[in-house]
Amino acid sequence: MATEDARYRQSSQYQLWSFSPTQLAAMREQTNTAARTRIAERLASLPAPSSNLSAPTSTANTPDPDGASTPALPEFLTAPEEALLVTHYTSELMRAGDHAEMSDEIKATAAAFFRRFYVTNSIMTYPPTEMLIVSLFFACKAEGSFVSISEFGKTFGRDHPEDILAGEFLLCQGLRFAIDVKHPFRALRGAIMELSTLPDIEPSRIAAAEHRAREILRFSPLITDAYFHYTPSQIMFAALSLADRSLAERLITQTFHYVAPPPNNSGVDTPISSGPDGAIPLPKKLPLRSNPAEDKSQIIGSHLRDRVLGAIEACRDMLARELPERRDHWTNKAVVKAQINPLRKKLKQCRDPERWNLVELQRARREQAARKADSEDGEPADRAGNGHSNSLAGDAAVFGEALPPKRRKVVEGRKGLDDPFGGPL
Amino acid sequence: MSRKAPGGARAAGNGASVLPAISTEDMCLVCKTSRYLNKDMEFLINPECYHSMCSSCVNRLFNDGPNQCPYAGCHRTLRRKGFRSAFFGDLSVEREVDIRRRVAAVFNQAEDDFETLRDYNNYLQMVEDLTFDLVSGGDAQRRAAEATLQQWEAEHKADIERNRKAGKEADEQSRRRLAAERDAARQRRVEALREAEEEKRERVRSREAELDSLAQGEAGSGAQRVQLKRRGQAAAHRAVEAAVSTAVSAADVGRLSIRGLKEKKKAPAPEGRTIRLGAWTLYKLHPGLTHPGVEKYKIDPPHITGGYSFDEYTARAMFEAFAGLGVFIEDEKEVGIGLSAGEVATISAGIAAVGDKMELD
Repeated sequence: MATEDARYRQSSQYQLWSFSPTQLAAMREQTNTAARTRIAERLASLPAPSSNLSAPTSTANTPDPDGASTPALPEFLTAPEEALLVTHYTSELMRAGDHAEMSDEIKATAAAFFRRFYVTNSIMTYPPTEMLIVSLFFACKAEGSFVSISEFGKTFGRDHPEDILAGEFLLCQGLRFAIDVKHPFRALRGAIMELSTLPDIEPSRIAAAEHRAREILRFSPLITDAYFHYTPSQIMFAALSLADRSLAERLITQTFHYVAPPPNNSGVDTPISSGPDGAIPLPKKLPLRSNPAEDKSQIIGSHLRDRVLGAIEACRDMLARELPERRDHWTNKAVVKAQINPLRKKLKQCRDPERWNLVELQRARREQAARKADSEDGEPADRAGNGHSNSLAGDAAVFGEALPPKRRKVVEGRKGLDDPFGGPL
Repeated sequence: MSRKAPGGARAAGNGASVLPAISTEDMCLVCKTSRYLNKDMEFLINPECYHSMCSSCVNRLFNDGPNQCPYAGCHRTLRRKGFRSAFFGDLSVEREVDIRRRVAAVFNQAEDDFETLRDYNNYLQMVEDLTFDLVSGGDAQRRAAEATLQQWEAEHKADIERNRKAGKEADEQSRRRLAAERDAARQRRVEALREAEEEKRERVRSREAELDSLAQGEAGSGAQRVQLKRRGQAAAHRAVEAAVSTAVSAADVGRLSIRGLKEKKKAPAPEGRTIRLGAWTLYKLHPGLTHPGVEKYKIDPPHITGGYSFDEYTARAMFEAFAGLGVFIEDEKEVGIGLSAGEVATISAGIAAVGDKMELD
């Protein structure tokens, strides 16, 4: 359709990390169920000494539906609960970013990384407190501000660089190696530039709107799912509209300048759906021109404008739920105590015993890879001889669902073979 | 006598496919005169058969008009006019060069005459094949190639003539340019010499001034400063002069030209670049676009000297402000990119409505 839009459609943000709300919810649900079954398996096959740690409390929690031989399973988090926890940790992440005095872009990238990672991976599988720091570290690199790992570790009280580095590749895998996150910050500057050229708007008003919009962009889209559902420019317009509604609408009308100014409904919501009532009446208000092609573009333009306004309006609603004033809400002790702590407790019970410790996990993987390289053909025997047979099968479950490595993908013949990043999520 | 000539000469009878190697560089194979007897002996060949003989033989045999080649078995009729001295010692090379020159005169298309590079390359390949046939092909091949050549020449006479003229013109131009370059270089050299001299004189003068001032018992530092200042002035003066002279010479010669570099046409001055969305303009990059956050960097030396382009920043900001504005993720991820059927119907209804109205008008 348009060159700019086509260019945006080529970005990894659009191709890999944009979803409709239903898709996103379905994916979260799927991740949750996959994690449940896997963790249940692992807890069941856990050797005695380590199960001692978690078993006493978990037996008290829930009656075991499966069988007498396995220890009782803990109560798992549901998908909405997971989402709530992820949001909580996102706010923690932003607090950590503030603490380390990082730029807005880095914090925003880290938050996007973090949320993306926990779309396809359950918070029960990988520790959010670790991934949060890994995200920040990796976001620094992604945004071109290279800090030394030891310096970075010191800021967050991590003495060993290994603690942070262990999760780095894991994060990359979880991101499907899509490292470029497109932010609305520079877009906001562009919009302000355009607004400043309009003659009849006071600069102080524009400056105030920009200040407020930037404040919103720093928090609201990151703590919501806006980055999944809307494009940066739509997010930017939504934030601008929250800051100064008439300015944003003015800019939109200016942009689709073929279209006559909209009916004066500054208080009333702009029509969200672009149904027949949105598109047909408008052309009648237009001054008629002799050129039919122009008329056509007018109609399509007005149609598109209504759709854009609809998207911005929806995004605005989403952002309005998490205005920057809500920053305190997420760090408020009472709220944390009431909502988050119970979930944290639950999480402690049901986390994945094998994957919780990232350093251990990485070491185990390296050993496994080395072993595999040593005895390529002796693999089945190796698997049988290995004490817990679920280690490889478990990997298949994890990576098969979330990020299938190439070899396994071919063997299983999943759909989406042509996708270099693996099957559809 | 000539019947005893080496086998090479006999083979040369059927044309020039096997040429007599000049084994006897110092002896004419026709009259057996050797260089020993005649120091100024000159060997001539005729491109008809490339048999070499000394100039006195040529005079003797062909002064009275066309005659047969004296080599045994060679029945070519040669004329006095056709004889010349060979440029290459190896006559087969001489012959190949002649043939190539002839073919190149006929097949003189330039790369611009072809639509694609591939076509041009194919053409070159064809010409090379033909040349090879002429140079070292068998009898039949040679005859066929000759026929092709002549046919082509006959059919494309006008084209060939045109290309020849164009080539001549280009040659002329390049020659002129080279001459101009040489001229400019000479000019520069003279200029440099003059400058060096000037400098020298200046130095002597300043030194004298210094000595004078010393003799008058003034403080040396003042004189030093004077001298330094003068030198600086001279340098600055020269710089100005140089700028003027280069400007003049640039106007004269056109531009400093590098051989083999195509002269590019100046791009039209960018004025309000527009980026179009479908049929209508979404935004315009007009010069007034700026942001207070950027302004302070416009006077920041690290940014200015680094060559940071503020226009690029503006362009990028504007692009990001509007890129993806018309991307509706929810619809596109579930239905696919583009307008849905219902929307198309709506739009066409709108168009139809306008059309009706227009007819009424």
